[in-house]
Amino acid sequence: MIIVTGANRGMGQAITERLIEKGEDVIGLVRNSSGLKINAIECDVRDYSSVKNASKEVKRMKKSIKAFINVAGVASMNMAVTTDESSVQKLIQTNLVGTIYCCQLFAPLMLRQKQGSFINFSTIAVALALRGESVYAASKAGVESFTRTFAREMADFNVRVNCIAPGPIRTDLLRGITDTQIEKIISQQIIQKQFQKSDVCDLVELLIDEKAKSLSGQVLNLGGV
Amino acid sequence: MPVLGFLKVQRLTRLTIKKTMNIDQAKKIVISVISKILEGKSKITEDMQLIGGESLLDSMNLVEVCIALEDLADEQGFEFDWTSEAAMSKSHSMFRSVAALAQEFANQSEV
Repeated sequence: MIIVTGANRGMGQAITERLIEKGEDVIGLVRNSSGLKINAIECDVRDYSSVKNASKEVKRMKKSIKAFINVAGVASMNMAVTTDESSVQKLIQTNLVGTIYCCQLFAPLMLRQKQGSFINFSTIAVALALRGESVYAASKAGVESFTRTFAREMADFNVRVNCIAPGPIRTDLLRGITDTQIEKIISQQIIQKQFQKSDVCDLVELLIDEKAKSLSGQVLNLGGV
Repeated sequence: MPVLGFLKVQRLTRLTIKKTMNIDQAKKIVISVISKILEGKSKITEDMQLIGGESLLDSMNLVEVCIALEDLADEQGFEFDWTSEAAMSKSHSMFRSVAALAQEFANQSEV
């Protein structure tokens, strides 16, 4: 079984669809499952109790967990000085704390089976220190740091932890970003090309595959930085 | 059976389970689990520390102990939560000794 947070929209939805297409048994963790056509558990990653309840529900299923993919996230493109308090809290709570909660509460299920893989999500904004994304980048820099350290903690149990850091991919998170701004970001990548959701899905497939058994604690930047 | 009668039976059953997990039994279980994980190489005492410099367990062993206790709790019909604040708190951590872990295991069997 593969668990995907934020499976009902954007990148999470694309990854979920790709994995189902490949024959994987996928369960989405979503805040609202009404109308969803995939197997899903309602869960707010910002809420420790909610994540804990979701992990108990998954444990009761008694299925082996192949991977846990932390996609749920929010973005807010603003200078730090013009970002209000609630936006700061929402960004940190969803992107960083939500990822930590999911990793720490689902890890015991993988530790027991001594196999599995976590994939977290960062952004190219961390490596490039993009202007106007300071709080968002800070939340994702935390995810990268957590990934590297958590990977070491999980290694003895044969559980791998990696992170994908996409550049500007066409999802709701890019709302309000102009084409000129996107081109400027892409021009700073090693491969100066705008990648798509399908490219991220390819990396997810690679990271959960046995062929990636030598990779843990890594941050994979799409396009390279 | 009347609904009230059924509820009484359920309550009695729960009370019976409570009585079966006393502190001495919990200590035996915890010592047995730790001993198995350490492959019987060390004598486990009640005051043995589970975390810190004096501990015979490394962090991986400690997680294995917790997972084993969680599985045993499942078999006994209760949930053993080792990720709670009570587990992690420095001053009241249930990992401060074998006896403290056994006490917490017994306490959680009564919830």
